[in-house]
Amino acid sequence: MKDQQIPIIQIRNCLLVSIQTELHDRLALDLQESLMDRVRVTDAKGVILDVSAVEVIDSYITRILNDIGKSVRFMGAVCYIVGIRPAVAMTLIEMGVELDSVNTALTLDLALEKLELLQS
Amino acid sequence: MRTVENEIGAILSGTISAITQRSIFNRLGPLATRPVSQLSSADRLAVMAELENSVRLFARRNSADLIASCARVLGTDGAAGAAGGPAAGAAGAGAPGGGPATTSAKKLPIEQEKDIATARLEAWSEAVRIGLSKFTSVKVATAVSELARNIVFYAGRGSVELRTVRDEKGASGLQIIASDQGPGIGGPKLEEIWAGTYKSQRGMGKGLVAVKKLVDEFQLETAPGKGTTVTCLFRGER
Repeated sequence: MKDQQIPIIQIRNCLLVSIQTELHDRLALDLQESLMDRVRVTDAKGVILDVSAVEVIDSYITRILNDIGKSVRFMGAVCYIVGIRPAVAMTLIEMGVELDSVNTALTLDLALEKLELLQS
Repeated sequence: MRTVENEIGAILSGTISAITQRSIFNRLGPLATRPVSQLSSADRLAVMAELENSVRLFARRNSADLIASCARVLGTDGAAGAAGGPAAGAAGAGAPGGGPATTSAKKLPIEQEKDIATARLEAWSEAVRIGLSKFTSVKVATAVSELARNIVFYAGRGSVELRTVRDEKGASGLQIIASDQGPGIGGPKLEEIWAGTYKSQRGMGKGLVAVKKLVDEFQLETAPGKGTTVTCLFRGER
C-alpha cells in the first residue's frame, strides 16, 4: 500500500484538514499524531476537519473523529467538524451514534468565525 | 501512457469527490489501471456501462455531459446510448406469485479494507436504482459499511449479499445478508453489545446496534466458532 498522508494546512492560528480519502486505522492514527504535533509546534487554537467529501460516516469513522477531537482538546485547542451532509447527519441520529467530542459548524467559514469569537 | 483512471479521473474531478472516484475505479477492477489505448472494444463497453451508472448516480450536475466526455475518451460514443437504455429499466422484472420475491441478487466478497468501500458503493447504487429515497440510500450504504467492517475486523473474510425484493404491494426493498465463518459472538458478549456497554478495540462497539436501528427488519444468527450471519431489510417506499 502507498504511504498516504493527509495534508494539514495552517490558516492564521487554525489548522485545517480536508478528508478526501478513505480513512483506515494507520492513516487515522498518523493524522491524529501529526495534528497533535502541529498544534504543539504552531500553538494553534483550533483544528477544523472538513468532511464534506465524506459520503458515509459509520460508527468507525465517528470513533476516529471523536478520538481526534479528544486529543486536540487535550492539547488545549478546539476541534470543529465542518461539512457534514444532511443525509449523513440524519443517519448518525438514527444510529444513536454521538459525535460528542467535537464541535460542528456548517461550513469552514462559519467554523473560522466561531473560533475567532472564542479568541477575542 | 494514460490509463483509464487518469483519463476518466480528469473528467470527473471537480464534480465527483476523490473518495467516490476511488470506489468507482475499484469497481472497474484491473481495467482501471490499463492504458486506454490497449483496451479491447468489449473492455471499453464494460468500462462505459459501469461509468454510466456511477456517474448518473453521483454527479450532482451535468451527468449527461460527463458521460458523453467519458464515451468520447473511450471511443464508445456510438454504443454508449444503447447500453444505457435497457440497464435503466432492469429493476422492473415482475415477481411471480404473492409475497416478497427476489428479483435480483449480487454477492460481494469482503476480504480487505478496500472491499468495504466497494460494498458500500455497490449497496448505494443498488438502493438508488430500485427507487429508495436519497436519505434511505445513505442509510443503506452506512449499514453495509458497518456490516462489511465487522467482517474485515473480526472475521477476516466473508461476504455481503444484496438482494432486491418485492413486497405484495409491488414496492422494491433491499435485503442485505452479511455472513462470515469467523469466531462468532458468544452469549455474554452479545448481551453487552445489545446493552450498549461493549467496547471494541478498533471501533465504537456500536456497529451492530447502529445497523439494527437503521433497518426495518433485523436478524442475527451467531454462535462461538460457527460464524455470524446478519440478515436485514430496507422496505420499499411506495
